[in-house]
Amino acid sequence: MRTLTGVGSTPLSGVGTARWYRPEAGLTLPDRPDPSAVDAVAELARFADARDAAREAIRDARDRAAERVGEEEAAVFEAHEQFLDDPELVDDIKAAIEDGTPAEHAVHDRFAAAIDQFEALDGQMAERADDLRDVRDRLLRALLNIGTDAEADDGAALADLGDLPAGTVLLAERLTPSDTAELDPDAVAGIATVAGGRTAHAAIIARSLSIPAVVGVGEPLREVEEGADLLVDGTDGRVVVDPDAESRAAAATDAAPPVTERVATADGRPIEVAANVGSEAEIAPAAERGADGIGLFRTEFLFYDREAPPSEEEQYEAVTAALSAFPEDRVVVRTLDIGGDKQVSYLDLPDESNPFLGRRGIRLSLDEHRDLFETQLRALLRAAASEGGEGLAVMFPLVSRLEEVDAAAEAVESVAAELAAEGVDHAVPELGAMVETPAAAFLADRLADRLDFLSVGTNDLTQYVMAADRENDGVAAYHDPLHPAVLRAIDRTASAAAGTDAWVGMCGEMAGDPALTELLVGLGLDELSMSAVTVPAVKNRVREIDSAAARDLAEEALACETRAKVRELLDG
Amino acid sequence: MERTVSVVPEAGLHARPASKLVQTANRFDADVSIGRADDGDEGLVRADSMLSVSGLNVGHGESVRVVAEGAEAAGALDAVCDLLTSAVEEDGGDPT
Repeated sequence: MRTLTGVGSTPLSGVGTARWYRPEAGLTLPDRPDPSAVDAVAELARFADARDAAREAIRDARDRAAERVGEEEAAVFEAHEQFLDDPELVDDIKAAIEDGTPAEHAVHDRFAAAIDQFEALDGQMAERADDLRDVRDRLLRALLNIGTDAEADDGAALADLGDLPAGTVLLAERLTPSDTAELDPDAVAGIATVAGGRTAHAAIIARSLSIPAVVGVGEPLREVEEGADLLVDGTDGRVVVDPDAESRAAAATDAAPPVTERVATADGRPIEVAANVGSEAEIAPAAERGADGIGLFRTEFLFYDREAPPSEEEQYEAVTAALSAFPEDRVVVRTLDIGGDKQVSYLDLPDESNPFLGRRGIRLSLDEHRDLFETQLRALLRAAASEGGEGLAVMFPLVSRLEEVDAAAEAVESVAAELAAEGVDHAVPELGAMVETPAAAFLADRLADRLDFLSVGTNDLTQYVMAADRENDGVAAYHDPLHPAVLRAIDRTASAAAGTDAWVGMCGEMAGDPALTELLVGLGLDELSMSAVTVPAVKNRVREIDSAAARDLAEEALACETRAKVRELLDG
Repeated sequence: MERTVSVVPEAGLHARPASKLVQTANRFDADVSIGRADDGDEGLVRADSMLSVSGLNVGHGESVRVVAEGAEAAGALDAVCDLLTSAVEEDGGDPT
């Protein structure tokens, strides 16, 4: 038994047989013949056949990704097909073949130039270079006749990631999003990569597919042999070679079976562990993993990919569907949170030089898109009177002024009066605010007086407290909620709510990291809401926590002067 | 015929917007080319090529020039410019 360490990416465990994915292995080109010896007509036909084969493979991959992961993630394959048909590439390759270059060399040369061109450009383009490699390798595999199962068996190259034998632990230098989207979660027991980080796109897709994953294991992973027995422990970030019976058993239980009952700390303080939901398809899995309700129901998905806003009825149906999946639990619906990086074409939002500091969230709802807000509130107030509707809570995004909360509450009252006048069944749900601006954290005491709850959105809160664009890699180091300034903002919010009737939760990425659960409990949060896949791990963690010790830990963390000190404290 | 517009999609001419632009350019019986407004004729590339369009590496807010020729030039120009000037619906994917 040998243990390698990396970064846990999907907090699940799996045991299986190591299979290396080496997309470039076997793609060695034969020697270049003399141009006069090349039959250009035959080579052009080979190139055409290879394009057909590659196209078919890309479309299959697209369909699989759309089915398994989602349309959004499947879109990358449309770009692949466009590269396959790119006139600049295709025409140059054909010209090279006509000049006496064999098809595989012509493909190799032209793609190499394109990849170099992309890699010479900055950040976003490197990803595109990976896409070009994908397409190139598909063409080369077709031209070199490799990638059959026979080759896969001796580890040369796995042709079809979507068709791996059950119990595979997939090992790779790194995985692209397209590689990952092809994986069948029922066949792949785990993923371990040499390179890559937890927030890379491929890692996020693996999480949404619930495939155990450890990334960034580094050099030692390369020494793992094809066919080895492996345990991938995405909770603790470990890869175990030849695991003994004990660790297998631990992994089996640690493969996080759903924890359906509500949980409390070891000394009895109840903590609600809920799920973030961003589409109708995520509701059932959230219930299956044992979430205590929905802590963040993002309504934006109802507004995307269409020509006009959804009707009141459509929104009512969507919210009651969520309520009926969680009849005993709370469902926190966030009112429309567009603007910033979230755009909706038919709403004609202004073009702003600083959209994250511009018209977004509640600012739009109270002003230029008040009509949408009122329609949404009508749907929500009616849903609150439906079966299971007493669990409904409504949350306003991007609050920075008390006037906004007052105006939103008045809008709720006037919609209630309107429904009453029409004789329509309705009820006023719990109302709350997201705390994601420094302003809201400073005003948390007053917000808590006015509202039923507060929910800390750590992704935006971190961005705004640290004045660091979360899309900008140049300031990625600022983007950590463990910076003392962010911890103080969270503490301020939780402490302000502590003396009131309002409960306080958290619905950012931070809430789903079991390594931070004790700190968050110690800071006084009552509810944690996260990706459904992490619910069991966080629930199990809550049960081990002693709330007095957690409070001490939180106090020590708040006393730390640097992020490094906070991390050191949490690791120790 | 031609038009100059500034690029609205947040991602610039990368990813989805680039992909949609190439699809759109291919739909018309017209030769469409695109380039940075400041780069003149030298900077124009084929709009039906994913490689060329994404290789421009044009970001949000930059000014681009679109030139269309051929039977359906007007339609192509409208469609391409519409795309460049409307924000693409993209799920931020992030909760907060």
